[in-house]
Amino acid sequence: MFKETILKEIDDIKARYPDPKSALLPTLYIAQREFGWLSHEAMHVVAQSLNLPEAMVRGTASFYTMFKHKPMGRHLIQLCTNVSCMILGAERLVDFLKNRYSLEPNITTTDRRFSLVIMECIGACDRGPAMLVNTDFHDSLTEERIEEILEKYK
Amino acid sequence: MSKPVSLKIDGRDVKVLEGTNLIDAAESSGIHIPNLCYLKGVRGIGACRLCLVEIEGMKAPVIACTTKVKEGMNVTTDTEKIREMRKFVIDLILSMHPLDCMTCTKAGVCNLQQYAYDFELKESTFTRKKFGFSIDEANPFIKREPDYCILCGRCVRVCKEQGTNVLDFMGRGVGARVITAMDKPLQESECTFCGSCVDACPVNALLEADRWRKGREWEYTKINSVCLSCGNGCDITVSTKDGSIVKINVGTEDSSVERYICAIGRFGFDSITADSRITAPLKRIGNELKETTWDDALKIAAEKLKEAGKGAGIVSTGNILNQDAFVLGKLASQAVKTKNVDTTVSLYADEDSMKYSDSVDIDSADLIVAVGINPSQWERVLPALDAGIRKRVARGAKLIVINNPSESPYTPLWKRGAEGDFKGGEGGFASIANINIRGDEASALAQVAKALKELAVSGQQSGSQEIKTSETSPIEQVVALFVKAQNPVIFTAPSLFNASVNIKLVTRHLSLVTPKVVAVPLEANARGVVSMGLIAEGKSYKDMVSGGAKVLYVIGEIPVNQRPKGVDFLIVQGSHMTEIAKQADIVLPASALLESEGTIINYLGRVKDIIKAIEPAGSAKQHKDIFIALSKAMGNPIRESKIKTVLEVKAKAKFSPFEKREGLDINPNEFIESINKHVINHSRLLWLKETEKVAV
Repeated sequence: MFKETILKEIDDIKARYPDPKSALLPTLYIAQREFGWLSHEAMHVVAQSLNLPEAMVRGTASFYTMFKHKPMGRHLIQLCTNVSCMILGAERLVDFLKNRYSLEPNITTTDRRFSLVIMECIGACDRGPAMLVNTDFHDSLTEERIEEILEKYK
Repeated sequence: MSKPVSLKIDGRDVKVLEGTNLIDAAESSGIHIPNLCYLKGVRGIGACRLCLVEIEGMKAPVIACTTKVKEGMNVTTDTEKIREMRKFVIDLILSMHPLDCMTCTKAGVCNLQQYAYDFELKESTFTRKKFGFSIDEANPFIKREPDYCILCGRCVRVCKEQGTNVLDFMGRGVGARVITAMDKPLQESECTFCGSCVDACPVNALLEADRWRKGREWEYTKINSVCLSCGNGCDITVSTKDGSIVKINVGTEDSSVERYICAIGRFGFDSITADSRITAPLKRIGNELKETTWDDALKIAAEKLKEAGKGAGIVSTGNILNQDAFVLGKLASQAVKTKNVDTTVSLYADEDSMKYSDSVDIDSADLIVAVGINPSQWERVLPALDAGIRKRVARGAKLIVINNPSESPYTPLWKRGAEGDFKGGEGGFASIANINIRGDEASALAQVAKALKELAVSGQQSGSQEIKTSETSPIEQVVALFVKAQNPVIFTAPSLFNASVNIKLVTRHLSLVTPKVVAVPLEANARGVVSMGLIAEGKSYKDMVSGGAKVLYVIGEIPVNQRPKGVDFLIVQGSHMTEIAKQADIVLPASALLESEGTIINYLGRVKDIIKAIEPAGSAKQHKDIFIALSKAMGNPIRESKIKTVLEVKAKAKFSPFEKREGLDINPNEFIESINKHVINHSRLLWLKETEKVAV
């Protein structure tokens, strides 16, 4: 179950809308923030706190790719491999992450330090390749630069 | 009120009401617009993209199911361009749908098969996709085969609209799938196995679990009849093959909120052929019941009844047909000559509430007031009323719930979830109500009546029709809803009927629409048996089953397990070997549900035809035929005269005190379970009962 303060936060979100359904996405986001990912239990708790059917919560959560349905590492790397980033060498970077950190797409490293998700365009086509680490944005990536950046995330 | 709108569809002049969508508008003039996801009555979602039509003045084709008619609209439903687009849609769907129509149970009624035929698609022109999703078939009722699913969402929407909320989509795109809450098998989800999803599925993704090689639709004979398992008396369509029942589907028309049947109505038919059926007359010899002939059994029963005369007692259930009830009344008064005849109706309803209830159409109700009732699809207590009200609310009606959960006999035995839970919980559908009034129902009604009266006074004083709606207290909010309502309906527990009628009488003095008031009985033909005159003039049902009659004649599966003490001779006439039948002196085999013919008057005041779907088992006979034979054996033959089954709704014009009638406080859950014991315990419903017990 959520902590008292989180329940309060959810209540505040609920108060913004006439229908509790509208609070579903922000509440799922909170659940993900609190539990790290959306387990069955997490979605059950969301359903209970909003008084919505579990089927609806699960259905909604599964529609959006930014919700995580399995446990993630401490740091989530989201690397773009769309056209612009790809031309600028993003795929080489995927290989680099595999060789250097044993990190493959949709996999978490054994030390649970990193998870990698290949992401669609994040709007940095002029400065590719680009990635997000958690919520931090990094562009103009090279192998050296990635190593340097990831050193900051322990 | 909706205005009529004129438009042209395929050159035909069409006139429909404002707010109608193009599919319904076209249907009304005999034009079918192809579709896979549309459900009449439920708001369209435009998922399948098959119902594309062209509208003059619009650049691109539009979706008919989500487009409302407009004055002067010129619609074309079938052009080369549209055919091309529709064909493309079917082509895409076929690329992920198994092409095994030759063995598919749904062949002949599958919408996809029909459209593939219409568009001459033998197979998809796209690369075939195969998913290999696991099949959910761990229950004896519904088989879910996601590989056949075309993701139209009909099942999801019917499940949501009726408030069951078990199914939803998971994922997106071609990999999307319909799942239960946590992708668990149905019996571990909150599924009630009502099977609404099975009726909605256009393909083979949802099907009755036992249908494999039980014949296909074109081999079946279809009979429209009525389920008599509880007070709702739902319309059903029975499919028979070679004289036995293969399946039962919902019978109500597509658009009605009454389109719902529960697991008992849909899957209880196994009990008709169960070993527990009584197929021949039995008589007691010592400690045993031995088979005998009809003549012998009738002769013994006749002698005993004649001997007892006015001391004899006759008790019946409230779900015998009007014709049976009418003949039974004659048998009692003319042949047996006793006044001691009564039915189980007297356990939960008084004569007034059954006689003076209005005739109601739920589909047009825009304000529903539920007084002292707690129907529940999860408990299977008047489940169709629960689903119907939920659907009506989903379609825009307002709901007021006046309930006293702590005292109400309708409090569910098995409380699921917390108060205000979407599933119902303690307050039934209180969680979806616009206004909840908790506490003593009669005094709440008195307050509403008082507030309405005050409204009349203040309205006269100001001389205007304008009514102040400073919505503060719940009672004032109730009044405000009554002021706006065009078709208010009050569903009340029979014990609160007189108090509810007072509201109706009060509104007569106002410029408001008078609400219709319906007392909700627990048995299918309660209103019928009362209007046929089966009302205790002598001893009551309760008296007789507690030993008030020396010779007792029991008709139907009454909720009594023990032979009453003080009964010297017990005659039981029924379809199944119930506990009390085992203790009888004479057992007369009666036809079961779907083996009889006649009429009932359902809780909404509608006269419904019961059509015989199959022949009675063994030498069983319909109740009325047994009564007639019995009267002959008694030497006072009665004749079956044609009876009038047009319901005359009599208006009750007098105010009554705001009180709850005493003595009608039987627990509805226990009662309904008890009268259906012979169905539940002798069909696959037993599995459900046991599974649900474990879940609790």
